[in-house]
Amino acid sequence: MTAGRAARSGARQGLWGRLPALVLVLAGVAGAPALASTPAELFGAGNSAYEKGRFDEAAAAYETIVGYGVLDPRVLYNLGNAYYKMGRLGPAILQYERAVRLAPGDREARENLEFARGRIRDRVAEPEAPYPVKALQEVLDVVPTDTLSALFLALYLAVGGLVGACLLSRQAMRQRILIYAALAVGLCAAAAGGALAYRIRDTNATEAIVMQDRVDVRSGPAADNTVLFTVHEGTRVEVRNRLEGWYQVSLPNALSGWVPASAVEGV
Amino acid sequence: MTTGVAHQGTARRRTGRRAGRGARRGLGGWLLGGLLALAAARAASAQEVGVRAQVDRSRVSERDQVVLSVEVSAASLDQVGPPDIAALGDFEIISGPAVSSRFQWINGRTSASKSFSYVLRPKGIGTRTIPALGLLVQGKTYRTQPIDVEVVPGGGGVPAPGGPPAGGPRGGPGRPQVPIRPQTGPGPADVRVRAEVDTRTAYVGQQITARFLLDTQTEVLNLGLKDNPNFPGFWAEDIKVPENLEMKRVELGAQPYTEYTLMKKALFPTSAGSLTIPGVAYQIQVRRRGQDPIESFFFTPTETLQRRTEPVTINVVPLPAASRPPGFSGAVGSFTLQVSADRKESQVNDAIGVKVRIAGEGNMNAVSVSPLPELGDFKQYPPRTSASSSLQGERLRGEKVWDYVLIPLAPGTQQIPPVTFSFFDPRDGEYRSVSSAPIAIQVARGSDQGGATLPVVSQSDVRALGRDIHYIKLAPDGLADRSRPFYRAPLFAVLLLLPIVADAGIFALTRRREALQANARQRRERRARSQARKRLKEARRRMAPASSRAFYAAVAGALSQYAADKFDTAAAGLTHDRIEELLASRGVAETLRSEFHRCLEACDYARFAPASSNQAEMQRTLEAAEEVLVALERSISA
Repeated sequence: MTAGRAARSGARQGLWGRLPALVLVLAGVAGAPALASTPAELFGAGNSAYEKGRFDEAAAAYETIVGYGVLDPRVLYNLGNAYYKMGRLGPAILQYERAVRLAPGDREARENLEFARGRIRDRVAEPEAPYPVKALQEVLDVVPTDTLSALFLALYLAVGGLVGACLLSRQAMRQRILIYAALAVGLCAAAAGGALAYRIRDTNATEAIVMQDRVDVRSGPAADNTVLFTVHEGTRVEVRNRLEGWYQVSLPNALSGWVPASAVEGV
Repeated sequence: MTTGVAHQGTARRRTGRRAGRGARRGLGGWLLGGLLALAAARAASAQEVGVRAQVDRSRVSERDQVVLSVEVSAASLDQVGPPDIAALGDFEIISGPAVSSRFQWINGRTSASKSFSYVLRPKGIGTRTIPALGLLVQGKTYRTQPIDVEVVPGGGGVPAPGGPPAGGPRGGPGRPQVPIRPQTGPGPADVRVRAEVDTRTAYVGQQITARFLLDTQTEVLNLGLKDNPNFPGFWAEDIKVPENLEMKRVELGAQPYTEYTLMKKALFPTSAGSLTIPGVAYQIQVRRRGQDPIESFFFTPTETLQRRTEPVTINVVPLPAASRPPGFSGAVGSFTLQVSADRKESQVNDAIGVKVRIAGEGNMNAVSVSPLPELGDFKQYPPRTSASSSLQGERLRGEKVWDYVLIPLAPGTQQIPPVTFSFFDPRDGEYRSVSSAPIAIQVARGSDQGGATLPVVSQSDVRALGRDIHYIKLAPDGLADRSRPFYRAPLFAVLLLLPIVADAGIFALTRRREALQANARQRRERRARSQARKRLKEARRRMAPASSRAFYAAVAGALSQYAADKFDTAAAGLTHDRIEELLASRGVAETLRSEFHRCLEACDYARFAPASSNQAEMQRTLEAAEEVLVALERSISA
């Protein structure tokens, strides 16, 4: 999982933070000329390894791509598949979760996530959204985040333009028309903005996946606290607090406690 | 295997039968024997029903299956209903019940047993309980004992336990309260019981034959089990012993003994490790020695002894995991496989019966998987299964038959693929697989179809045959880095701020321009009165008959310029009606408006009339104009 963590920190640091790592990876690759080096080549190599059933090799190739800082949902999805085939449910679920966050409309990733989640030990009832909300979510999930952002921005700019025109206009009638138009477009912009905000909140939710076979959740951030309950590999928890190598996590059913930071991996 | 036994009447029946036997062998006790035989007959005629439940293993991994069999023994199987399995909350029923029946006919008495086998999968981990299951037998409800099954996590084989499984039957027969004298100890009559097994090392699922022997030096009158034998960790099958017990002369420690085989059990260990066949306690009634013959003729002087066999420890070896074939379902023994179709030629939609029969030496209860895979070209109904077991000598033989009904869906040569069955042969210590030959079925088109019409196909839903994750994705158009979404880009923030900044700028600009305009207007309005006064003064200077036109023009100009200044418009295009309108909009009274109007009209009339007006008229007009202006100023600024 260090590669995944490196990728996340790489993504956070931006291009400049990523560059030395990229140089290092490239330098390492230069020593072995037969190895693929670009993300696309690595992706091809990973896919062919997967086809031949060498899932560990495939996972290593995909992890390298992620280590470059290239975040493509397909890479994460394939990485999840490779981990699943290796029998490592925790990393598989983690990668599927990340893939779904990047591409919420990806049905295959969602279904694989559900499938993998069906094999974990803990059964935690997720709150079910009512039907209209669920239907709306499904429609919205199909729209990529960038499209949603662009749509919102376009509507927002249109509102700005209409308000500006209204301010400039000196005829009462035209002003009234422009104000109504601005209100209508503004409603659309608010809807798009709401959807975008929901998506961003979803994408940035501080969730983590349990990566160890069995983790005791304690009442406080130290090993001598009472064990409140136990979670198993692959279970998704929400991270509430962080403190000196411990995370306060909670389950959808309101159970909450502290786990060592090494036992879980943030999505 | 954990056995939960609930016998009703069985113990009585055994005692009775043995009592009868003892009486037959006894010399002097024929009277008592006769009475006992009578009692036995009555017991036999009563409805004796025994129900018991057992599982093939008491420790399973969570993904494994448990075979639960509920056995009913009764005089007749007419009214035996299946057990009520609704209470099996801790388990998921995968298949079943597989029903098998066994009949026995001994000395004119029939006894029958019927067993219902279920394949269960545990839900969750930990100790799961199969609750007491109710069965309706001949109108009465009988209950089995609850059984605990320990479910351990993990997918593969069952890990070797450290000792015998912990989950014993709840409420099962306890240990006897009467202390048992050591078997070898001195007694009035040397009677001992012992257990003998054919092997002390066995694989999981391999048959171990346990024989329970009675060695006696004295005459045994009566004999019974103290409690029902219970073999935790084993699947136990009874091997029938003949009604007249086998008798053998043996020498034990140079002493002559008579040996009877009391009971034989085929035991199948269900988990690896060191398992113990617990001691079985017997109550033995023997004739007391050294009695007065007269007394002993009328009263059989008897003594009841308690004897318990020594527990036997069996070392159970787990099946080798390395070479385990993929389709291995846990069968241990030596089996044969037969696959037969009832015909080789059929028509579309015409059912074919396919029978898969697996038979051989070993415990078939572990075999639960349907051997025939789903076939794409046939519609397949859930098979009817029947299982039976019999004893060949002391070895348990099992047979399980799956009856499939297959309906060909497409014409042509269709194949029933080879069926493979894997089992572990404990004799050679290795896995074996038996396969059937593929069966080719010639499927003709339906007979009622002419050449022109298309065959009528009975449609069936496309079934999901298996589940797996979706395959990996390819990226033919290259990878795209989505690590920085658009909404995080600086451009997004800039564009978000842009309309706010721009609109605020526009707003400020328009407000500023309006303010400037308002200032100019106010100044003009404020100065309207003084300007008008100046103009009237100018008019007064021209107040002479010679310059009457200029005078009237100046007065009219003062009036209309005043109105224009007050309403911030140009005086040039201001008609009388427009002035009227503007004044009305400022709430000027009707009379004042008409006065103003009249003044203007008077001026216009005088300007354009040919006759020149006199001084007095001019003076009057000027005064009227001044009055109107004063009144207007007051009205408008009020």
